[in-house]
Amino acid sequence: MADQGGSQHGIARTSRVRTDEQKKRDLERIARYRELEDQVRARAAEGDYSPAVFQLTSRLLRLNPEYYTIWNVRRRCLISGSFSRLSAGSSCSTACSTSSRTATTAPSSTSCSSSSSATTPPAPGPPTAGKSGTTAEPTPAAADPPEATESEPSEAETRDLATLQAELVFTIPLLLESPKCYWIWSYRLWLLQQAIARLRAPLARTVWEEELGLATKMLGKDRRNFHAWGYRRHVVARLESPSLRGGSMVEAEFAYTDRMIMSDLSNFSAWHSRSRLIPRLLAERGADEAARRAFLDKELQQIREALNVGPEDQSLWYYHQFLILNLVYPNKHPAMTPGFTLQDRVAYLRREIEEIKELLEDYADIQLIYEGLFEYTLYLCQLEGKKPKASERTDLVAWLGKLKQLDPMRRGRWADLEREHDLTEGGSDV
Amino acid sequence: MELLSDTLWDVVICGTGLQQSLLALALSRSGKKILHIDPNAFYGGGEAAFSLQDAESWVTRVSMGSGGLFASPSITKHEGVVGLSSSRAYSLALAPQLIHARSALLSQLVSSRAYRQVEFLAAGPSYIFKPSQDSQQPTLVRIPSTREEVFSTTDVSSKAKRLLMKFLKFVLEYEASPQLETWQPHADAPLTGFLQQEFNMDAELQTYIVTLTLSLDGNIRTKDGLAVIRRHLSSMGVYGPGFAAIYPKWGGLSEITQISCRAGAVGGAVYMLGTGIKETEIVDNEVKVQLTSGDTVKARMLVRASESVTRQTGISKLVAVISSPLSSMFQPIVEGAPRPAVAVIAFPAGSLFTAAGTGPGCPVYLSAHSSDTGECPVGQSVLYLTTLSTPDAKAILGRALESFIQATSQGEACQVLYQLQYEQRAGPDGFEVDGPVFTLGAPSPSLSFDDSTLSPVREAWKQVMGQAAVYPEYMVFDDREVVLDDDEAYDRW
Repeated sequence: MADQGGSQHGIARTSRVRTDEQKKRDLERIARYRELEDQVRARAAEGDYSPAVFQLTSRLLRLNPEYYTIWNVRRRCLISGSFSRLSAGSSCSTACSTSSRTATTAPSSTSCSSSSSATTPPAPGPPTAGKSGTTAEPTPAAADPPEATESEPSEAETRDLATLQAELVFTIPLLLESPKCYWIWSYRLWLLQQAIARLRAPLARTVWEEELGLATKMLGKDRRNFHAWGYRRHVVARLESPSLRGGSMVEAEFAYTDRMIMSDLSNFSAWHSRSRLIPRLLAERGADEAARRAFLDKELQQIREALNVGPEDQSLWYYHQFLILNLVYPNKHPAMTPGFTLQDRVAYLRREIEEIKELLEDYADIQLIYEGLFEYTLYLCQLEGKKPKASERTDLVAWLGKLKQLDPMRRGRWADLEREHDLTEGGSDV
Repeated sequence: MELLSDTLWDVVICGTGLQQSLLALALSRSGKKILHIDPNAFYGGGEAAFSLQDAESWVTRVSMGSGGLFASPSITKHEGVVGLSSSRAYSLALAPQLIHARSALLSQLVSSRAYRQVEFLAAGPSYIFKPSQDSQQPTLVRIPSTREEVFSTTDVSSKAKRLLMKFLKFVLEYEASPQLETWQPHADAPLTGFLQQEFNMDAELQTYIVTLTLSLDGNIRTKDGLAVIRRHLSSMGVYGPGFAAIYPKWGGLSEITQISCRAGAVGGAVYMLGTGIKETEIVDNEVKVQLTSGDTVKARMLVRASESVTRQTGISKLVAVISSPLSSMFQPIVEGAPRPAVAVIAFPAGSLFTAAGTGPGCPVYLSAHSSDTGECPVGQSVLYLTTLSTPDAKAILGRALESFIQATSQGEACQVLYQLQYEQRAGPDGFEVDGPVFTLGAPSPSLSFDDSTLSPVREAWKQVMGQAAVYPEYMVFDDREVVLDDDEAYDRW
């Protein structure tokens, strides 16, 4: 039996030879599954979102967490059941929508921040008896989240918090089994939004802080999962937002990238996150020019140390290049080099080139080193507004020669570079 | 009731040391009639773990001459020192060996399902002891063995880091060309020479690398050194970030002997502790064994450990309990890593000197165990020091212990509560077969479990099973208990 190969969300498909006994068992399972599914769909179609249906969704989702319709049924059950009633007058829009959407890592939805619109605060009375009709748009028309005017959380909030936490816990075993199932993550995000909508900021915050813990754990298991990094950024952004009475978490997040890099240098996402945090970090530190220069020095030294042990690693070269771009294009990247004169920039760039040349002592055949040297030497000429000197031209030709030798598949590209910068052997130049 | 002597046993196994116990595990599903005896009153033989009281009994026995390879034991309890807990709070291991993730022992424990009964802990970083210089305190320096560790160490120059990286990359592919051609001419020469010639490494860098091999004489051959380092590198991260080896809780290899004998018993083997062999006689390719219990049994095969001692240098050991938890040694190495329970510190040749001014020509290794291993109460640690046997060995080990405490105490008073010292002499390698009598050699005393210890077990198994031996099924079993089924999800509300 040919193996179909491939995988669904990282879980490999295997073809198994089944005995008759196994086939019979599988048929029984299929029958039970279908029965369950029919029940849920039939009752939902009638508008039955009672606790019994809720329990059925638990069973069905354990068997098949990818069945997004059932997640929606579950949401409706919660809204018409366990969750306390919220009054109309929404200041939350699409953020709370339950229309099926993929768990985007950077949702464009607006945060449910307390708006200044005059809305009546929710009357936390008991939920109306009976089921809510299907006409109820499952948008928990959130008014302003309850302000902490009273010291004790209201009964409704306590109940909602318990419900939310129970639901979050429900998803955990499902996540462990299917860590890349978008619908589970989408449901979690919906629950987290509910926390903002229904709970006062400090309570909602605890829920989101736990989520950050979960994101950290996920990244601990798979440091290079860029979905997880995006999710983390989303959670951090929320925690920083006014709706959760947040402050800046830039320092903590920067320290986090430090730790991630320490455990695995080759991590595009961690270096990328780091580069994104730097402008805000320096702004918050109130760094003056001297402090910014010192910061740049430290970053350069660190990335050079990293390149010293991992010159074949592209993620490191990308970060180094980012730092170089700060030198070469200060308009686009003003954070670290304000107040640098042209001489300063040239000096820094020269030093970097010399340091990288030292790597060639022991790493004679690493392509990325030659590419780096080539690119940076051209940047140097660009900064100085001159064409390459004779010695520089010799270097460029030699490095290009090495690149042609190390990567013959890209000879077209090397040929282009050669022409573009007038580096053909024996070409005339001053 | 059937008497022992009524049965023709398929095999009588004498001793419950690691190899004999693994044999019992290997045979636990075979349906063979197995009688497994041990002259000691405890399981584990030369790999046992002791409470303080057990240790004292053991010392008495060994002093009286029935210690096999062990000799010259002594215990020093520090009088008037408060802090030593009750006897049963300790489980001092005779074989506190680390097991590298890629070790064949682990794959056998997994395939035989025996792993489920052992709790494994992360065995963490390696350190080198740097003696005090210019009135500075002695320090412990991490030995970097991954790219990230080389990156973060401040103890090594940039140039040296590049050499280290080149070497580490070389080792990972050392069996392929062109690496193979580079080292083969040096195969039987010392690794240090190879490192100097091919990688231009200075003495300090050479020391790092040789220490990674945990070589007892510091003079390991190139081909052995490369194999050991490659195993270390490829074991890195297998069971979690930041560590390459694991350690069984509750006394190291002793725990493996316990679960293996348990598996043997579940499989029907008969166990008799406190029973040894008085005499054996080979009759018609069967062996008649007279037991110290008075019974005489007949068996198709007898498996026992060798009693002989070779002239090879043995090792000298010191087990010390100290009153510090050594928290700084047992921090998780990287983000997300488990807390290590074992740390290894090497004292390279020349870094230690006794009061008399003599220094060892060979390294001392100190394996520090936190209370997470179950070997001592919380707030204390157990230190296992090993060096080759020399006339100075005892003094050198004492010096190493002192220097270690000096380097790690960080101002807190740390007392040595208890010391157990002994010599472990060298036994023969491999195994010997004389008709129905199979004699196991001594297991390798190396600090990290040596897979060569496993081959004689397999040979013994082959002989017991005879025609019925199906080699791919060696140590491959299904779980006895029914494991949680998918169906549960279908029935559960």
